[in-house]
Amino acid sequence: MDATRRRGARARLVVACAAAVAVLGPLTWLRQDSLMPDAYSVMDMGYADHGGGSREAGQVGGSPVHSAHGPARATGHEAHSAAAAPGHAGHAAAGHGVTAMGRDVAAPADHVPAPGRDVTSLTADPRREADVRVTLTARKQRFRPAAGRLVDGYTLNGTSPGPVIHATAGQLVEVRLVNESVPDGITLHWHGVDVPNAADGVAGVTQDAVGVGGSFTYRFVADRAGTFWYHSHQMSHEQVRRGLLGALVVAPAKGTGAVDGVALLHLYDGVRTVNGREGDVRVEASPGARARVRVINTENGQTPVWVGGAPFRLVAVDGTDLNEPGPVRGTAVMVTAGGRADLEVAMPEDGSPVRVHIGGPTGVVLGSRAYDAPAVPRPAATLDLLSYGAPAPIGFDPDAADRRFVYDIGRRPGFLDGRPGLWWTVNGHMFPDVPMYVVAPGDVVRMRIGNHSGETHPMHLHGHHAVVLSRGGVRATGSPWWVDSLEVGNGEWYDIAFVADNPGIWMDHCHNLPHAAEGLVAHLMYEGVTTPFTIGGPPGNRPE
Amino acid sequence: MKVLYKVLAYLIAAEVAVQAMAVVFADAGMGKWVEQGGVLDKAVMESDAPPFPEVVGLMVHGMNGIMVIPVVALLLLVSSFFTKIPGAVKAAGLVLLLVVLQVSLGILGHDIPGLGALHGLNALLLFSAAVYAARRDRAAAVTTPARPDVRVGSAG
Repeated sequence: MDATRRRGARARLVVACAAAVAVLGPLTWLRQDSLMPDAYSVMDMGYADHGGGSREAGQVGGSPVHSAHGPARATGHEAHSAAAAPGHAGHAAAGHGVTAMGRDVAAPADHVPAPGRDVTSLTADPRREADVRVTLTARKQRFRPAAGRLVDGYTLNGTSPGPVIHATAGQLVEVRLVNESVPDGITLHWHGVDVPNAADGVAGVTQDAVGVGGSFTYRFVADRAGTFWYHSHQMSHEQVRRGLLGALVVAPAKGTGAVDGVALLHLYDGVRTVNGREGDVRVEASPGARARVRVINTENGQTPVWVGGAPFRLVAVDGTDLNEPGPVRGTAVMVTAGGRADLEVAMPEDGSPVRVHIGGPTGVVLGSRAYDAPAVPRPAATLDLLSYGAPAPIGFDPDAADRRFVYDIGRRPGFLDGRPGLWWTVNGHMFPDVPMYVVAPGDVVRMRIGNHSGETHPMHLHGHHAVVLSRGGVRATGSPWWVDSLEVGNGEWYDIAFVADNPGIWMDHCHNLPHAAEGLVAHLMYEGVTTPFTIGGPPGNRPE
Repeated sequence: MKVLYKVLAYLIAAEVAVQAMAVVFADAGMGKWVEQGGVLDKAVMESDAPPFPEVVGLMVHGMNGIMVIPVVALLLLVSSFFTKIPGAVKAAGLVLLLVVLQVSLGILGHDIPGLGALHGLNALLLFSAAVYAARRDRAAAVTTPARPDVRVGSAG
């Protein structure tokens, strides 16, 4: 009897252990598989997506990742795989490598890589004298934004937001960034400016994070008049929130003929501010004058902007003028996270003030004698840029695209670098097995950005402006709508197009910065471009 | 192992109660904040810093719901393999199933608010299932007082 019972107990224990292993084993394996190495190159991330090929015959389905790796990395497919496998925490060995690397198999074994071009060589003309010179010194400190409460964060030249940098279109801007005391290191990214790749300021992709006591000089030609901003792209989800940001205004050479005001929205410790100020920002504008308010949304979520007291025109989006924008009344404009919207108001002749609401009762008050403009509630209607303004030529034919990409955002449970949770996916794959969109200079590129992840995502492509072709299959009929930051709502999809005219390795990510830290990051890579920088490593590069 | 199983099951029930309290706490705090002139938009929602203190309820709800409760439910299932309580595996399996359903409804509720209502209803089912699982040994003690070794097979 005792023996039977013991046998039964033993059998039960064996079954229980087997069941426990069956439940926990796969989870442990998935967790281990998701761990990222201490340092890895973004070129080794995910799989190459050629968007239907290259213009060179025989390259379709081939692997420009090879050429991108350059002679220093690998000279053939085998070498490439060998070099890439460690960068994936053993993904290849664990079977995940089929996703990460398996798509390279179509590459001919004797494929000779094109000579690599290092991102650090992609600069503005080094011989050209700078027209605008600025030094920005970053500090970790407690500070008080304009008339606000104390904030424990970061400043540039002692303030946050940092100083507004002014330039005129065509000028060469040179900014020297000095890190006095930000322990994690810093960079500056010029959001919306199509800078040469070396000046893009992405830690671990185009440069190393600038450590305490170090400096880095950014040089770029501000070729496009408009409203831009700059922010750290090292641990950006934390450093931007805590103050490493500022506005960049590029005026057209002939001027705008309008009163000009910047309205940079940022929340410090949850407190909504415009230009660091908690209350209204006043801008003097005399009766009959035109006043341009440059709204910059530095936050992680979109915000509505509306005007009380006068009609307005939305004259520019993301640093690009709209064509023939009509007057708007009783309608709000949504400003994408990371995006900009320039509103122009014709001041009433009777001298009454005008209130530009930025997400709430406060904002910018335009006036001359009085600034007591009453607050008005947010209009129910929202301006649809798909049909606002008048069409104009965009300069290329998006129907003759050389590359067609899909950037489809979803969400699923899994492990991200060992952390369990519900994480974002790109085309069904979780970070780091995301696509590397590969293009060649001069390509016309189409991209379909879809979102069924349950949340809205402000998608930001570095180094390029893309034009919106359609949303949900409905074609754009208004002014060409050029974006660098596009809010893709849940359940929506957009077709956008751009010309690949700025070689480099460019992030294409969600500008809800915590989302980027949760893996909603992919890259656009030009054939033949390489980066010597790695994520992680001694400089502690963490772009998200 | 029996004690661990019971503790985990009761812990799930307690967590469901915490979840209900946290989300209403946050909702009430938000109502009060808006009443006092606060404005909520996506920019505020996505800001890491809390615009009103009760927002901590939403963070607790999210962390608990996506991380803590699923892990506890998984551990409950594993512990059920090792207990001799009749029906423990089935009960723990039911709890885990309802947790998966609950997380799914919570996520999909952002898309389709009607599913959020089911999320509230399923919380009651999950609470009941957790208590039911925790009390399996009592039920077993009442129905099969003298034949534990005959019933053990069903526990595996």
